[in-house]
Amino acid sequence: MKSESDLYRGMTRRDYMRQTAGAAFAALYGGAPKLLAEPAPKATADTLILLWMAGGMAQTETFDPKKYTPYEPGLESSRVLSTFPSIPTAVDGIRISQGLEEIAKILDRGALIRSHRVGDLGFILHSRHQYHWHTGYEPPQPLAMPHMGAWIAKLLGPKNPDMPPFIAIGQNMEIGAESDGLKAFHTAGFLGSEYGPFMITDPRDAVASVQPPENMRGGRFENRYQQYRKLVAASPVLRDGSDYQRESFLRAMDNADRLLRSPAAKAFDLTLEPKDSYDVYNTGRFGLGCLLARRLAEAGARFIEVSSEYIPFRHWDTHENGHERAIGMKQWIDRPVSRLIRDLEERGLLSRTVVVLASEFGRDMMTEGKPGREVKDQVKQPAIMTSPQHYGMHRHFTEAGSVLVFGGGFRRGLLYGETAPERPCSIIKDPVTIPDLHATLYAALGIAPAAGVTIEQRPVYVTKDGKGKPVQGLLATT
Amino acid sequence: MKALQAALAAALLPAALFAQTQTVRTIDFAKEIHPLLEARCASCHSGDSAQAGLHLDSREGLLRGGKDGPAIVPGKSSESLLILKVTGQRGLPMPPSGPRLTADTIALLRAWIDQGAKWDLKAASADQPASIAPRNPPVPPGQSSNPVDRFIEAYLRSKSAVMPPPVSDSVFARRVYLDIQGLLPAPEQLQAFIADKSAGKRAALVERLLADREAYAENWISFWNDLLRNDEGVIYEGERKSITKWLLNALRSNMPYDQMVQALLNPVDKEDPEGFLIGVNWRGVVSASQSPPMQASQNSAQVFLGMNLKCAACHDSFVNRWKLRDTYGLAAMFSDAELQMVRCDVPTGKTAEPGFPLHDFTVPFGQSLPSRRAAAAKWFTCRENGRFARTVVNRYWKALFGRGIIEPVDDMDAAPWSQDLLDWLASDFAEHGYDLQRLLSLIMTSRAYQMPSSTEGEDAKEYVFHGPRPRRLTAEEFEDAISCISGDWRILTPRNETFAQYTREWRLKSDPLSRALGRPIRDQVYTERNTQASTLQALELTNGPLLRGRIERAAKALLGQLPAAPQNIYDSKFMRRGVASFDVDITGAKDLWLVIQDVDSYDPARVIAGWAHAELYGPDGWVRLADLPGPTAPAYEFNTATSVLSGIRAAAPSVLHWSLDGRKFTRIRAWPVIDAESNRSDINAALRFFVFTEKPEMDRLVRIHAEPPQAPRRTEWSAGALVDRLYMHMLSRTPSAEEKAIAIRMVTAGGQRPTTEGLEDLLWAMLMSPEFQFIL
Repeated sequence: MKSESDLYRGMTRRDYMRQTAGAAFAALYGGAPKLLAEPAPKATADTLILLWMAGGMAQTETFDPKKYTPYEPGLESSRVLSTFPSIPTAVDGIRISQGLEEIAKILDRGALIRSHRVGDLGFILHSRHQYHWHTGYEPPQPLAMPHMGAWIAKLLGPKNPDMPPFIAIGQNMEIGAESDGLKAFHTAGFLGSEYGPFMITDPRDAVASVQPPENMRGGRFENRYQQYRKLVAASPVLRDGSDYQRESFLRAMDNADRLLRSPAAKAFDLTLEPKDSYDVYNTGRFGLGCLLARRLAEAGARFIEVSSEYIPFRHWDTHENGHERAIGMKQWIDRPVSRLIRDLEERGLLSRTVVVLASEFGRDMMTEGKPGREVKDQVKQPAIMTSPQHYGMHRHFTEAGSVLVFGGGFRRGLLYGETAPERPCSIIKDPVTIPDLHATLYAALGIAPAAGVTIEQRPVYVTKDGKGKPVQGLLATT
Repeated sequence: MKALQAALAAALLPAALFAQTQTVRTIDFAKEIHPLLEARCASCHSGDSAQAGLHLDSREGLLRGGKDGPAIVPGKSSESLLILKVTGQRGLPMPPSGPRLTADTIALLRAWIDQGAKWDLKAASADQPASIAPRNPPVPPGQSSNPVDRFIEAYLRSKSAVMPPPVSDSVFARRVYLDIQGLLPAPEQLQAFIADKSAGKRAALVERLLADREAYAENWISFWNDLLRNDEGVIYEGERKSITKWLLNALRSNMPYDQMVQALLNPVDKEDPEGFLIGVNWRGVVSASQSPPMQASQNSAQVFLGMNLKCAACHDSFVNRWKLRDTYGLAAMFSDAELQMVRCDVPTGKTAEPGFPLHDFTVPFGQSLPSRRAAAAKWFTCRENGRFARTVVNRYWKALFGRGIIEPVDDMDAAPWSQDLLDWLASDFAEHGYDLQRLLSLIMTSRAYQMPSSTEGEDAKEYVFHGPRPRRLTAEEFEDAISCISGDWRILTPRNETFAQYTREWRLKSDPLSRALGRPIRDQVYTERNTQASTLQALELTNGPLLRGRIERAAKALLGQLPAAPQNIYDSKFMRRGVASFDVDITGAKDLWLVIQDVDSYDPARVIAGWAHAELYGPDGWVRLADLPGPTAPAYEFNTATSVLSGIRAAAPSVLHWSLDGRKFTRIRAWPVIDAESNRSDINAALRFFVFTEKPEMDRLVRIHAEPPQAPRRTEWSAGALVDRLYMHMLSRTPSAEEKAIAIRMVTAGGQRPTTEGLEDLLWAMLMSPEFQFIL
């Protein structure tokens, strides 16, 4: 089958680079960031899709089920490790939580990590942990640190010149209390705004961000641009000379205009998707985000994040009634995630695309933060449950979380790492830290853990201090 | 320029970089070796507790070596211990943690040693730190009355150049209005200025604009907000301490700069700004290098003295002369507790000794925090500290000329293009009481400021001053320009206030448009805006809903099609829970709108809210609203904590409309209510209820208090007159015949009169013209 990206040829990567080179002129921080010369590993993938389980996905209710204890009034909280029974998967010996039947069927295509250990940042704040996960650095920082997608955009450039290299789907940035925390890491930071996220809050509206609005169609948009260029050309002030800044501004306007009229824009239009496929994905905004991610990956996007969206106390951020809410969240992700993997596989894209599903931390009914280190508790979980509202994983657990990785050079059907069967269910085998997980993802894309740039004369790396180590056990040997 | 572009294109292609180490060539120490040593060796082999006594942060350290002898033998890599260690041929392979060095990297190290192990940090300035003492060089002889010009003339002579003729009145006026007030000159102001034939009119204009302290403060506050990391409502832990009120007052009253900094570093009075020392903090455990005193240390050194202590907040710096103890010493001046020094997240077991990073002079201090803070404030701002004035003078020069006398502006150890000019400006500034307005006036009345803008020598190795650089409008200037042109100013609606107000851009929270235009998220100090064009920015400008909305309103406002927004007759103000009530006069009303605004509920779709006991009074007495023909709003029994109320349910947000024509109602009463269920943590209702008798505008529900900053002028336009006015307002000039023809075609869309759509398109095209986007 001819891939959709074939439609978007016509401009070489080099052309695009020449046209966008202006961005590298960013005079910030006493000079443009300079790339560090660091030998690159051989890439096994060109595209990364991050499925972000925002709000702290309970590992024991999803991919690391423990002993199931059904609810009954009077049940002791400390007796409950999981509120769902487990189900078998396509891989012998791996069981995951009930409600994830579709993902269970495709688990043989990827690796399940049960030993992801995030940072210990004290009194829990979701946006701070998310900042840490997405940038590799814990805030506050003396420099504005780039989002992982910005690093990838900077180091690899766009895959298709008509497609923004870094696209973030699903997260509304105006969510009240923690908006600023989200904005702080949805940025290219010191790399310069060219590498920042192209934000799509609602996948159903995605096409509006790459198409002129209704009342600009029928030739008005094209005409406006033509007249604009005529006006600029007619300016007596600028006729005699030009300079780099003004040229790069006009070039940027040209790029935007081209993108808005490019066939690549079709990838953003979910109404072009066949109805049966659309319906499979359509469990809600996140599901449609997965569909949009698939379409964008096909059209040559480089880095795509689909967030289940962080809003305090919503989605995976279950402070109460956790069992019921986990049912809903699993319904939200199960079908679309599974279909995304299958679709990529069918289209021959999975071998060069990494799909990773992760969250800022796990959850537990009893432990807040890390076992043995007391932090301020944020949830009133009674010792004895009197209502189903009490039944669920309501506390933030930073000791262990689960991560799925599919495709692009990762081993298949692998279970990596292990947590203890009894509370506090700490990691007992092969912990994977954020720098090491990132180093592994970057390695698959051909980026060294100590790749980076010099900024204010100092080196800054894609993994903290350049010290991430790829987890070799996750990578397929070639 | 071509070569530079080629180099950039190459720099963007990582593949080209990874192939670099194959051939024999001169190794660039600063780029290839130094970052490696910093990244992989410095955390153990530097500072007071260097492992094995080995310091890898200077050539001397490498030659002296540690307990096993010298680390390198220049010219002989195979005999150098450094190579034996990193290749694992001798002892524990280095570095002991992280990935082993690759063969390519080791080859680089070898080549560097074989080429003599030169320690050449061109960009860094560690070798010759700039002098700290103030210096007052004699003003060169010459005709100009402004000393700045005497220095510039002498400088140009030394470069075999002469002062070019000054820019036109209109270019000058656009510069000074934007540089002082951040606003475009109105056509009437501009024409009056051009018509004025008096000799000193340019200086007079500068003085007049500076005298409007309100407009000046509303512009320069953004410059200072960037430096001082001040932002409204940005919260990571409790309420970040805003210094806006103090800062506005300081600018309005032209507070001397030394006093400003004293208040920032040693806030003692109730009105003093505490926010700067508190910094930007996040909940939870913060790394030692970013504790509030350490932030204060790094920020104060950077902002006020152009010193970068950021590296030295973790370990002794490799790129400049600052040591870990310097950063901690200064931090200890702002700390109420003893500071334990931590190097690269590992405690050193040492306590920071309070002190100052520059040792040219000192200020005595006692044990108490107030004594230390007061001493720090004095040390930064005393006359002996010439660097204090140089740093701010250089920042102002950059603000007005697009490039500093020293670049980068945060490295005041770097070489200026004119030491004399910098030193004289700084010393003159200090002598005249650190008067910031006087500094602006001095520079802006110089011939140098009136030179045509130039981009000459942008890619030259050594910068030569040829005049100001064209400067891109800031996000605030761009947004305020749209308000100026149209008279349609933006609205600020504080959540708990009864009234909204017209405002300039800086008071509003940043949005995707202003962020695309370079308005920073002020988590860090910003001493320079990113005003670089990019495709994402152009996409926002070409197709973003925010700019589109502003242009639509602007076009309507200019054509007199934007009536004032209707005023509400009831406003519940911000509500999270419970019930309110009202009973208001609606005599004569033909329509009724009940509006629920969602302020920021976590899950508005699940909010249960509505209007209980809504009734209208008329000739037939009280009538239930639900009994009138109108929108289908379901009946609902609302639970509050204390009672059950029956009424109609409405969504958040919602607008319900009833026609009251002919019913002669005179009163309406109702109880706006939020059901207790909506207080659940994952719904968290946050609403505001309004009643209108005219069709409301959803973004102008709250009553607007006071007049807009510049009154709108509405008039009937011929296409030609409208085009002339836009050119004068936006570009400070009349259009050429060719431009006018194109613009008229656009604005009339081929007809006779301006159309709204035509004007929208013309406004967009002019806003996107480089001539508008830049201060020329």
